[in-house]
Amino acid sequence: MSRKMIIVTSILLATGIILSACGSAVTPQSQTGAGASTPLPAGSVQVTGAGATFPLPVYSQWTYAYQYVDPSVVINYNGVGSGAGKTAILNNTVDFAGSDSLLNADQYTQGVDLQMYPMLAGAVVPVYNIAFQAVPTPAAGAAAVSLPKLILDRQSLVDIYDGKVTKWNDPEIVSLNPGLANFLPGTAITTVHRSDGSGTTEIFTKALTSFSPDWTAGGAQSVQWPGNGLGGKGNAGVAAAVINTPNSIGYVELAYAISNSMTYAQMVNKAGKTITANGASVEAAMTEFANSFTPQLTATIVDGTSDGAWPITGYTYIILHTSTMIDCVKAQKILEFLKWAQTDAGAQTAATNLGYSVLPDVVRTNVLAKLAQVTCNGQPVLMP
Amino acid sequence: MLKQLKSLSEKDWRVRIQRALHHGDRPWQGLLILFSGVVIVLMLVIGGMLWVKSSGSRNAFGLSFLAPTANPNWDPVNNLFQAWPFLYGTLVTSLFAILFALPIGIGIAIFLAELCPPWLRTPLTWLVELLAAIPSVVYGLWGIFVFLPKVVAPIGNFLADTLGRVPLAGALFTGPIPASGASRLAASLILTIMIVPTIAAVSRDVFLAIPPSQREAAKALGATEWETIWQVLIPYGRSGLLGAIILGLGRALGETMAVTMVIGNSIQGGISLLSAGYSMASIIANEFAESVSQLHTDALIEIGLVLFVITLLLNILARFLIWRVARQAPQEARS
Repeated sequence: MSRKMIIVTSILLATGIILSACGSAVTPQSQTGAGASTPLPAGSVQVTGAGATFPLPVYSQWTYAYQYVDPSVVINYNGVGSGAGKTAILNNTVDFAGSDSLLNADQYTQGVDLQMYPMLAGAVVPVYNIAFQAVPTPAAGAAAVSLPKLILDRQSLVDIYDGKVTKWNDPEIVSLNPGLANFLPGTAITTVHRSDGSGTTEIFTKALTSFSPDWTAGGAQSVQWPGNGLGGKGNAGVAAAVINTPNSIGYVELAYAISNSMTYAQMVNKAGKTITANGASVEAAMTEFANSFTPQLTATIVDGTSDGAWPITGYTYIILHTSTMIDCVKAQKILEFLKWAQTDAGAQTAATNLGYSVLPDVVRTNVLAKLAQVTCNGQPVLMP
Repeated sequence: MLKQLKSLSEKDWRVRIQRALHHGDRPWQGLLILFSGVVIVLMLVIGGMLWVKSSGSRNAFGLSFLAPTANPNWDPVNNLFQAWPFLYGTLVTSLFAILFALPIGIGIAIFLAELCPPWLRTPLTWLVELLAAIPSVVYGLWGIFVFLPKVVAPIGNFLADTLGRVPLAGALFTGPIPASGASRLAASLILTIMIVPTIAAVSRDVFLAIPPSQREAAKALGATEWETIWQVLIPYGRSGLLGAIILGLGRALGETMAVTMVIGNSIQGGISLLSAGYSMASIIANEFAESVSQLHTDALIEIGLVLFVITLLLNILARFLIWRVARQAPQEARS
């Protein structure tokens, strides 16, 4: 409350003084100390970010809420896609980028000081639409017979997408689903994938690559899909294709599957445990890989070996220039925002409510430590 | 009078200055040349940009990029790209869309211009033009959720059972169609709906522009309504009707969103109209923002270049056809 008062008062004081951001850019704001600095007029710092659409819903909420935390900064995040975001930060047309996919070697040589910071994680889930056969009709008034959820293991998911398993009553699937043995139809499986390049596809195909050497198409935002599967544009396109095609299987983000009440399969993970995708199982995957971060702070967290880990998970990252940001005020505002997003309880709850998994403490500490290393004009931007 | 004024102006320099100042012809002409020049420059700049930016892909694959192939590669992970499935998808869906839309569009135009009772004419014209105003993404959504499962899938199954059994031509109709209906046929039918208003509106204007004397002459010779339309009006308006077709085809070739949403986006569809396919505009829309590598981007730009060239060639062909038809028309009418 008192902080808000101070901000409001200082805004009033600062009104009329046209203090441009450029003027104060020469000396890092942090040098004067966070508390003692004169707050800038409301909306005087414009920060632009662009990139992945996967975290767009939560980034929108964060940037909106942050106006009330620090009125001097206006943050715009445009969901243009991870690839376009990476190109934008390389060309310095945005202040920060969001990406589900990693920078490649070329991009690191072009932008030497680029650094990725994990922000959130998400799960990708196989969604299916099986026309179960011979389901007993419930007696009048009784509730419909509820069949157990489909269970797939790592190999069978690869085999389905590879075209080796072509029917739902294939022994490989039946043996995993004894409860469904009498109901799985002997009809052809239609596979559905994302037609647009996306981080979701990258997480899914990286997981398939890790699941089995039989998957040869590789893992990337778009791959050459084996077989004659259908491509749907965006999560919505995949969902529509699955809903409209009996006996089909597709993959969407967990958040999307939940908000659209789609039925998604359980997976048998590397440890042999049957796992449901949810916040806890994604967090288990993040925790397991907490120590396998590269110096660029990236980690592939698919196919974990721990008991509770959901095998198809991935981080979404923010990309920043760590030493060549020119406008130090802006740099400070960006870092303060990211730190707030990672440490503020409300911000974290907002993410969880939207179906994302927030970082476990061990990873968050790592990210915050890396954020503190960002410099501007040779000076650290964030003061501890 | 005019001669007098002219001679006067040539003698009197004051009048000449006045003419130069008050007369807007010269500046107006210059302005118009400038505007048309902008169009030409724009075309050259776009074409040149596509050519330059696609150099990586052109150098890597050469002409094999466009060659027809039964097992096409579009593999961003291993950097192997072939444009054939997209080229085929765009051409075949546009062609069939024109085949379907032509009789419907011209039929609507004939009805509106010749046979329609006056009280129905305005609302019907208005409705047809409204069809053209619906955004393509709306067509796509309606296609996914209603048109494909309810209409296209049954039609596809019917075609697979009938035409699919015909030798040779049956290869175009081998089923089964995907249960969701997503296929080249779906794209053709959605495109048909989208280009019918264009063809109908332009053809209607063509028929309305035919002088009444033509109709009266035909009827005076004892021609029925049908004979008048078929033997007099359509030949008379041929070049205009051709223009209508070209306009429709142009729209079909470039349509992106609706096609992307209903075509199925699969590169392994063979040649059948009933299997899922891909189009050039769709692959660019799908993968450009998230391209995996530089070569991937270059290949997508080269597809853009191919689409650009096809559209250009088509327009040149259309000009040529219209010019020929327009030259032939009077002779044939006499014979």
